[in-house]
Amino acid sequence: MPPVLSAIELTKRFGDITAVSELSFELEAGSVTGFLGPNGAGKTTTMRLLLGLAEPTRGRALVFGRPFAELDSPGARVGAVLEAADLHPGRTGRDHLRVLAPVAHVPPSRIDEVLALVDLQGAADRRVKGYSLGMRQRLGLAAALLGDPELLILDEPANGLDPEGVRWLRDFLRAFAAEGRTVFVSSHLLAEVAQTVDQVVIINRGRLVVEAPLAELTARLAGTVRVESARPDVLEAALRRTGVAATERLNGTLRVHGVAADRIGEIALAANVALSQVVTESSSLEDVFLELTAEPRT
Amino acid sequence: MTEQLRSELRKLRTTRTVPVLLLVAVALALLGAFAEGLSPTLGELAKEDQQRLLIGGAATNAALLAVFVGLLAVTGEFRYGTIRVTLLFEPRRRLVLVAKLAAAALAGIVFAVVCVAVAFGAGLSILAARDVGVALTRTHTLVLVFGPVATSALSAMLGVTVGALIRNQVGAIVALSVYSLAVDALLFATVPSLGRYLPGQAGNALSGLPDAELLSPGLGAAVAVAWTLVFIAMATLRMDRSDI
Repeated sequence: MPPVLSAIELTKRFGDITAVSELSFELEAGSVTGFLGPNGAGKTTTMRLLLGLAEPTRGRALVFGRPFAELDSPGARVGAVLEAADLHPGRTGRDHLRVLAPVAHVPPSRIDEVLALVDLQGAADRRVKGYSLGMRQRLGLAAALLGDPELLILDEPANGLDPEGVRWLRDFLRAFAAEGRTVFVSSHLLAEVAQTVDQVVIINRGRLVVEAPLAELTARLAGTVRVESARPDVLEAALRRTGVAATERLNGTLRVHGVAADRIGEIALAANVALSQVVTESSSLEDVFLELTAEPRT
Repeated sequence: MTEQLRSELRKLRTTRTVPVLLLVAVALALLGAFAEGLSPTLGELAKEDQQRLLIGGAATNAALLAVFVGLLAVTGEFRYGTIRVTLLFEPRRRLVLVAKLAAAALAGIVFAVVCVAVAFGAGLSILAARDVGVALTRTHTLVLVFGPVATSALSAMLGVTVGALIRNQVGAIVALSVYSLAVDALLFATVPSLGRYLPGQAGNALSGLPDAELLSPGLGAAVAVAWTLVFIAMATLRMDRSDI
């Protein structure tokens, strides 16, 4: 069975700007994948490429092993919400769904089902212009669910939701995936999806930073020691000689993984490097996310 | 295809845009009928050409507003982003375009049926009220009934294509208004031998308006259809190629 979603060396340029560059990743069925990166990282563009709304400059974007446009009855296989504002303000919520019911190949009764699913029955006959951002998000989700799809693609769905709404969305997505279906959800905040996702695809400046199960990312954080010294080059070289390869440089600060602080102290002493600060970090996922997607300093 | 057409027709029915445009068309048709029916002298009004102008002029308001039905049906989708939702459920863009053309054409036909009825109703009432006999020939009457229907359907389809080409709602409205006032009408007024081949004047000919410089209704129909096909081809290319 082909992967539910696959990006294969996906590249998209707009004039001189490369929005997505050589991006490759795959999604397995039955998982919730967080698609993370700062604003402007290329998340929305990637989703548009996957959904056939934009043509890749190079590479391929496949859904269930085929380009989106070649799917039979795509509404029954993929539900997507790209922007909460993709609604006509003069149309009622129910009419938005009535417009889509024929092309989703569903009977009118399905409209009430999805309205109930997103808890929007009460507002269904009001015009969308009176909706809050959260209600628009839920209406968008209701439309995506019309065809009872196997894959949900959501772009920043938590935007505009209150904490209760975020929690509702989390429970909903977990339940959706528990049925063996797949969720691909973007966010610029890891914390927003950390409790929802099984794995993450993190991009920055259109490039893949990391594709990993959330557990692996968490494990990677353990035992990071931040070391500040006057001579970080010498210390880094000394660490390397003792077989510690996992170091990162950020100006004068070294971040060392997998070695305890006292051992680093010994190595520094042997290398004759004075340390001004040694801190064992109890890092959060958010830290690592920010670090992975930090602008490179020049 | 039928599902997409049903979807497009529901889009037209579920906002206030189309009813408002229809009301404007009816109001303009009434206004036109009164202006052309009450201002001429009895002698003038007895002439067939004036009666054609009275009824045909009122009926062409259907086409005038139907073009905006098509235009807004497409630019509204781009303005509010619903085009993305539309293409997620039906990624075959040509099929979406064809469904939009068909839905707009049907709306154009409805507009024309209403406006033709209003034009004949108001026009014949005015003639009766001023005690002027009906001078319309059978042929001209047929053209005045069916011409505006065809013109309005084509006009709504042209609106769809212009919307697909320009996409920006305000830009498209401005472009279309400037075109019809400054290019189409002006060129016909100054160089009628060329201007009569423009879409607006071809539509006027097809609608049966009495102007010696216009093409015959049959030729007008051919030219209007040709323009519509050219614009459909351009709109198809634009929809095929561009990112949404």
